[in-house]
Amino acid sequence: MTERHRLRSLGTIVLLNGLIPIRTQPLYLVNLLASPLSFLFFLTVVSHGALLRYGVTGGLLLTMLSAGTGLQSDLTHYRHDLKLQDIVVASPVEAPIYVLGMALSELVYSIPGLAVFVVLFAVEGLATVLSVSILLGVLVLVWGFATALAFTLATYFQDVRETFMFSPLISLVLSVLPPVYYPLAYLPAWAQVVARFSPTTYAAALIQGAVGLAPLSLSSAAVDWGVLGAVTAALFAVAAFKARWKEP
Amino acid sequence: MPSAIVATGVTKIYPGSRSRTPALADLSLEVPSGGVYGLIGRNGAGKTTFIRIAATQLEATSGSVRVLGHEVGTEDREVRARIACVPQESRPLYFLTTEEVVYLYLKMRGLPSSEAHRRTEEALEELSLVEYRRRLVSRLSGGLRRRTLCAMVLASDADVMFLDEPTTGLDPIARREVWEAVRRASREHRTIVLTTHYLDEAEALSSRLALIEQGRRVLEGTPSELRARVRYPYRVTLWGSVPPEELDSYGRLVPIEGGSMVFTGEREARELARWALERGLRLSMGPVSLEDIFLEVVGRSIEEDAPLPQEDEPTEAKA
Repeated sequence: MTERHRLRSLGTIVLLNGLIPIRTQPLYLVNLLASPLSFLFFLTVVSHGALLRYGVTGGLLLTMLSAGTGLQSDLTHYRHDLKLQDIVVASPVEAPIYVLGMALSELVYSIPGLAVFVVLFAVEGLATVLSVSILLGVLVLVWGFATALAFTLATYFQDVRETFMFSPLISLVLSVLPPVYYPLAYLPAWAQVVARFSPTTYAAALIQGAVGLAPLSLSSAAVDWGVLGAVTAALFAVAAFKARWKEP
Repeated sequence: MPSAIVATGVTKIYPGSRSRTPALADLSLEVPSGGVYGLIGRNGAGKTTFIRIAATQLEATSGSVRVLGHEVGTEDREVRARIACVPQESRPLYFLTTEEVVYLYLKMRGLPSSEAHRRTEEALEELSLVEYRRRLVSRLSGGLRRRTLCAMVLASDADVMFLDEPTTGLDPIARREVWEAVRRASREHRTIVLTTHYLDEAEALSSRLALIEQGRRVLEGTPSELRARVRYPYRVTLWGSVPPEELDSYGRLVPIEGGSMVFTGEREARELARWALERGLRLSMGPVSLEDIFLEVVGRSIEEDAPLPQEDEPTEAKA
């Protein structure tokens, strides 16, 4: 396959899984918006507006996380119910092109969510060159590790119903329990230690620090970037090693 | 003629199989280039396992498969560039239209838009799908969905196409449309490996056939070669009541409702026909069908399921 062929394949997969389904079911666009907006609404009402900015930064994070983890359902459904993966395997399309295309197509669904939260981010006066740069970097890493996690998990699922069970668990472990929507300091000391096991804690710390919601020293930023980068790299390695393109 | 596929001593035991029953047991096959190669056998005989190994979707436990000169397993990329496959029980994406299924598949394979459009038009026309072109797959019948998948693969630029039970669930007219499209593809010097348990389909389409039973190749050759290899190449059906002892000497007697069926040799078939006509019995005679050959070689009807080695397959994901 030449680079031109690869690009054509990639674009077709994005079209196939990202844009065309919206034509038949426009509600897909609202799907990824519902949870982060619910959290934002709840936090803002309960805190009398004090946690609005946490809701905005958390919403951006959760939207990207969902865009990545949402991939597991599609991959499982396409592999088991439609045998699409088998059709693609027996074709010139290479595994990384299929995975990247599927991952990019999931991003399409997150566009409305990102748009809403980016507008709120700007309206709340959180956007500076530094904060936007850090935000972009963090969101790309979060999307990356969530995609790798989804691809690995999808390898082991036998039925799409299993993904319905896992999705809320992943959401709980990666976005609700860790301090994505609130400051880390709200947690008791022991829970802060536990929260450190979630990569989203580091992602949230970077974003909250970048917009001035929490203190962020250079050294702690370095640790946060390091952990986030290492987790992403590790999950990609696991996906590359464990995820199966061809059945054993 | 060079071979499109050469399989040598292929064995497949699914990981986690408790009984270690092989789905394929030392299977060797040679599929010539161009034409349709039929793999026939009961459900669970190993046809799909072989197709999946040759189509680079499944690893063999041992043995070698070469597709167009490239070794499956070590040269998968080269193999995949030249193959296409309609897996058993596959379904097109329900939110696409019939036309999009074909067109987007071709685009995904890297074909330029103009070429993809041209091939899509041809395939839709050939498989009588033009009137459904703008219809969503979710609103198509099962048969039309299957036909759409066949159109998709037959429209491709692949040199070797694997069609795993492509006409299951199709009505007789739709089946024949698929057959015609398969024949056209084979006339373009492409190789089509077709699995089916419709023996009329295998006979109508295949230039060569392999009969697989319990993961082993039992017979292989052209349809006429297969007929020649069976003990009784002719079948005479007699209507009316005839004492079995009068027919026993002609060959193998099978009682049927309202008469008898005798599997016999060519000379004996003529003698039996003359004998029956002299007694005013109604009869029909002709060469045995693949169904008859299957029954004779395997000892069971093709409609009976083979014991599945997949019953032992692990429950963990395999893709």
